[in-house]
Amino acid sequence: MKLALYFTFPYPSLERFGKYMEIISDVKFEYAELGIPTKYPYYDGPQIRKTHGVALKEFSMESLGKQVSILKSQGKKVYALAYCNLFSENPGEFMEKLSAAGIDGIILPDLLTDFYHERKEIIHSVHDHGLEAIPFFNASTPDHSIEEILSITHSWIYFGLQPSTGIKVPLRIDEMYKRIRSLCGSREIIVGFGIDGPEMISELKTAGFDGIAVGSAFIRSMDEDNISAFEKQAKMLEAETHGK
Amino acid sequence: MYKYNHFIPLSVYNINNVEIIPEYWYNIVPDLPEPLAPPRDHDPLNSSLDLLNRILPAEVLRQEFTSSRHVRIPEEVMEQYAQIGRPTPLIRAVNLEKFLGFNGKIFFKYEGATVTGSHKINAAVPQAFYAAIEGIKEVATETGAGQWGTATALAASLNNIKSKVFMVSVSFMQKPLRKKIMEIYGGEVVSSPSNLTDFGRAMLKEDPSHPGSLGIAISEAVQYTLDRGIRYLMGSVENSVITYQSIIGQEASKQLEILGEEPDVLIGCVGGGSNFSGFVFPFMKSKVEMIATAASEVPKFSKGKYKYDLVDTAGILPQLKMISLGADYVPPPIYSGGLRYHGAAPALSMLVNNGRIKTDEVGEDASREAMQVFARTQGIVPAPESAHAIATAINYCRNPANSGKTVVLNVSGHGLLDLSIFGE
Ligand SMILES: Cc1ncc(COP(=O)(O)O)c(C=O)c1O
Repeated sequence: MKLALYFTFPYPSLERFGKYMEIISDVKFEYAELGIPTKYPYYDGPQIRKTHGVALKEFSMESLGKQVSILKSQGKKVYALAYCNLFSENPGEFMEKLSAAGIDGIILPDLLTDFYHERKEIIHSVHDHGLEAIPFFNASTPDHSIEEILSITHSWIYFGLQPSTGIKVPLRIDEMYKRIRSLCGSREIIVGFGIDGPEMISELKTAGFDGIAVGSAFIRSMDEDNISAFEKQAKMLEAETHGK
Repeated sequence: MYKYNHFIPLSVYNINNVEIIPEYWYNIVPDLPEPLAPPRDHDPLNSSLDLLNRILPAEVLRQEFTSSRHVRIPEEVMEQYAQIGRPTPLIRAVNLEKFLGFNGKIFFKYEGATVTGSHKINAAVPQAFYAAIEGIKEVATETGAGQWGTATALAASLNNIKSKVFMVSVSFMQKPLRKKIMEIYGGEVVSSPSNLTDFGRAMLKEDPSHPGSLGIAISEAVQYTLDRGIRYLMGSVENSVITYQSIIGQEASKQLEILGEEPDVLIGCVGGGSNFSGFVFPFMKSKVEMIATAASEVPKFSKGKYKYDLVDTAGILPQLKMISLGADYVPPPIYSGGLRYHGAAPALSMLVNNGRIKTDEVGEDASREAMQVFARTQGIVPAPESAHAIATAINYCRNPANSGKTVVLNVSGHGLLDLSIFGE
């Protein structure tokens, strides 16, 4: 099973962000997702929402570029998680910058809700700049919207289990899997939002998901600057996804 | 001259056939034309979404966000549905047709035939059932007209749990019989704003004779739920409620099919949107015209905005993207308490906003008149809320452009406890 690790960049500070990246440099994971901070991270829970406010202070495209090249030198694919409200005026310019920073692709959590009417234009702009557009779906995405977006993208799929990050609404995982798999065929599906312990990961694996994305679970140890807890969390995720 | 043929009245299709009750509730979300905007937190530091775990029965919360199109109805709920009068009849309003000189057909689905007298019991039964099997001993809710509170009181008793109902102050005063029937069913009723919650106390301090609003009563019921560690039952607006109410439209669709009828138009009234959406959503794949009627005094369709807004005035629940007059809107004290809500269900709002569902607004006088017409022609005193839809249907049938059409109307409740609308 693949592992994607999410971090809002650069939370809690540029310096400490670099330190955490060093710790995970010997952890096996496939995708790094870097959250581009915004004032309005609507679909994130309180924990990640807070990281956006902090990360805004030191964010710059240059420092992002540096971090991306380090991660890529370790063989990771690097994706940006960005809200469309960051570039609603000018997607082209934003994509250009991400592309120059070495980003492989972009996940847009609000594309199909707040920017539904601009969806095709934005996806074209992503592709025009040589980036992969990663479809983001959740339980409320209608069938025909999923089908349409799949037909104009080529990459893996990010499926949000919960209505927002860090929230735990009761779920029926097998039911959710069946629906999304029947719509997505053999495309790779990475699930995220609200994933924490080994039990849930093994349930997701058994259901048939191809990978997991984890973010909120790291924030507590980052807040406490508890390096060993951070490392332990990463190692646990590695073990659960890649075998012990 | 009398006719003496072997005669099957063409006016009535109300055989008590339990096979008319569907096995699944229908959730429209996967079939919507656009993705439904998700509920959103408005407080940057706390998660009102996560708080839902302490407010709703777990299974209800799961269904609120489910991706499944069909949600199986538990056997126990089926049994309770049969006990409370499902399936409800679909009746051809032959006398109303004659009265209007209408040369098409008018059918009405009669939700007033349930034991509590409205569609509200359809959503109360499953929520009380799920709460009870999760070990909850008491539930709380709000009520405007009194219909939802009545349904909650009975559903709680059917599932052996207690219920607390916060009743909007103006209705509490207008409708003493409503309070009585809730008590007979086993509910405890308080006028809202009340002094049982911080929010209610604050409102009363501002205005000791505050008329209340559904938004305030919801806030109180939710706060009381959190304070006491019980669970809250939702009467309308939320997606799971719309899903439970889909039983109305699914039954109507089967009944029309048995009769070999194809509707040209579906008409219903909108408070929070539950009876209307439950009635029309199962027909969404067909081309049938749909008209939602609100009260002119609470003009959400003509004056409301489609935007994220609070569900409850206190802002405890997550915000929803819906057509809304604003959560702090205090509606005038019209009799149709069920139509006094400031917003409308998100899926319904989306379909109104994109033009799939048409709208109408009807005033209290026109609705009172429609109540009388319906009573004198069909013998049923409809709820004043339902009478708004009847008024729309009457206007529709009077328009020559609609001659020959098949009109299907949802009469969401009876008005036998609302007779004070006609004066002392
Ligand atoms: C008889 C009746 N009809 C309609 C309504 C409006 O609510 P909704 O739009 O959720 O069906 C109510 C609400 O109290 C009601 O009692």
